[in-house]
Amino acid sequence: MAQAQVPVTVLTGYLGAGKTTLLNRILSEQHGKKYAVIVNEFGELGVDNDLVVNADEEVFEMNNGCICCTVRGDLIRIIEGLMKRKDKFDGILVETTGLADPGPVAQTFFTDDDVKARTRLDAIVTVVDAKHFLAQLGQGTEAQEQVAFADVILLNKTDLVSADDLEKVEARIAAINPYARIHKTEKSRIELAAILDKGAFDLKRILEFEPDFLEHGHDHNHEEEVKSLSITSDRPVDPDKFQKWMGALLQIKGPDIFRSKGILAIDGAPKRYVYQGVHMMMDADWGTPWKAGEKRASKLVFIGRDLDGDNLKRGFEDCLK
Amino acid sequence: MRSVPSDAPVAACAFSRDGATVGFGLGDGRVRLFSADIKQPASAIAEPVHTGAVLSLIGDPTADGFVSSGDDGRLLRLALDGGMTEIAHQKGKWIDKLAAHRTTGAVVASVGKMALVIDKAGGLREFGPHQSTVAAVDFSKDGSRIGAAHYDGITVWSIGAVTLPPRRFAWRGSHVALKWSTDGKFIATGTQENDIHVWRIAQATDMRMQGYPAKVKSLSWSADARWLYTSSQPVFTAWPFAGKGPEGKPPLQFGDEGAGLLTVVAAHPTAEYVAGGYDSGELQVGDIKTRRSAVIRMVDGNAITCLAWSPDGTSIAAGTDNGDMLLIDLRR
Repeated sequence: MAQAQVPVTVLTGYLGAGKTTLLNRILSEQHGKKYAVIVNEFGELGVDNDLVVNADEEVFEMNNGCICCTVRGDLIRIIEGLMKRKDKFDGILVETTGLADPGPVAQTFFTDDDVKARTRLDAIVTVVDAKHFLAQLGQGTEAQEQVAFADVILLNKTDLVSADDLEKVEARIAAINPYARIHKTEKSRIELAAILDKGAFDLKRILEFEPDFLEHGHDHNHEEEVKSLSITSDRPVDPDKFQKWMGALLQIKGPDIFRSKGILAIDGAPKRYVYQGVHMMMDADWGTPWKAGEKRASKLVFIGRDLDGDNLKRGFEDCLK
Repeated sequence: MRSVPSDAPVAACAFSRDGATVGFGLGDGRVRLFSADIKQPASAIAEPVHTGAVLSLIGDPTADGFVSSGDDGRLLRLALDGGMTEIAHQKGKWIDKLAAHRTTGAVVASVGKMALVIDKAGGLREFGPHQSTVAAVDFSKDGSRIGAAHYDGITVWSIGAVTLPPRRFAWRGSHVALKWSTDGKFIATGTQENDIHVWRIAQATDMRMQGYPAKVKSLSWSADARWLYTSSQPVFTAWPFAGKGPEGKPPLQFGDEGAGLLTVVAAHPTAEYVAGGYDSGELQVGDIKTRRSAVIRMVDGNAITCLAWSPDGTSIAAGTDNGDMLLIDLRR
């Protein structure tokens, strides 16, 4: 039976940021849609719903020699189980614990064939506590990584901070990850359309999701340990050289590269080449054709830890014709 | 062949101990029981119900009914008159995989990180917790031990009156299927990395077989324990375990190439045949002696999700992911 892939939204955020409040909204509001919710702490949700499944966040390392190929086996099992049900879902939401690394959840959707056949990773949504975010940055790497991984950020509890402080928080978020879409919220109040079915991992929708993706570079703040880097060029890319370089780069730097994506103008190709990656896992495909007379340009984005911008730029330039 | 449609995916199918009844566990929570005599009318004898999806269904080793488990956290003993007895109820958990031991009458179930053993009299014992959720369970040949698959290996527990420390057999990665060999000497697992792994239990040695294009979720040992059949290939694939074992040997691959990949394989309960269901809906029966196979159901585009032989090996039950409940009498 040919089935549509069910979109999966990953919901991350530090302890107390407002994830549970958001999930309760999604489960209790009358939106006429059916969502399965995979939570890490049963009973935290006030809603009694048989579509709430408890998960244990069981991460394992793939036995393929790659130390960053960590995957959530429990998710594979739960998604397989959910697909046995008669009732189909409009979406699945996966909540991670406040201290979880979003990497393994995301990588599960790149790794497992059964999961890939039945579901698609839609977006990583991170709830940020406007009042405590700056302090949380100093308490460990989690708060920073959750922002780095995000496609959509709910900057929550904005009613609890002054306009000045809110600006500071926004600036820090932008310094780590300028590509995420930020929604300012109080009590996690948000239109579901702003966080669900975003297609952030859909190769065909990279441009749609970020219409200004090719427009301007966002290279600011070099002090952040976790930050984003973009590289652009209007010279055509040699596909073989690029593949070699990117392959080697991910082998070595994979654990430190949280997200990567790009649009490439491949030498002589009529279509854009687009890719998306989480750590070492990557999906790539041909995108829309270049229009006649359109300026062909490539852009690569990395979000990660301790990225060496000069080295990356030199590496990419070696792949150009 | 009889095909009865339903509107929920078939998660599991099984015959009763006496072979007179066939059961199908569905994704809407129903277990539908039919006469296994294909000449009888195709109306359900009984339809006991789980509140979520049925996850597993086996013949009851202590009676002529069934045992079912579901994502409602319930483990049920099902009688043919539709009566249900709750063996276990673990709220908020899924009772996932089941296996039965014919002579001892015990049943083993995987529930989260635990393996749950229910003896003939209904007594419950828990084994675990394991380091991660138990993905598959099985009994040893004599029923004195159970094997549980989880991350980074398997654990073997003695389930006799004396509690012995468990034995761990390590191999990195996630083990998703487990079958104890019919002679009790080996345990085979399928892994997340598209391999199979086999341990010689007494010697604690192990071997790894690679080259599958997908996860091997279905494993089945031949009745004489000479062959281990595996899914996830377009033809029947059997590893030779007679004599010195399969080390250094290729598997025997035989039969007509089917459409797609095998999703389920089931060795005949006594003879040298094997049944296989494909992700395309095709069904084949293979004969390892002649190395030939016959198509018993054509491709229809809906994956075969489960497969079971009747105890006398004359009939096959199968289910599909679009809800077809199939019964095939090979004598007709």
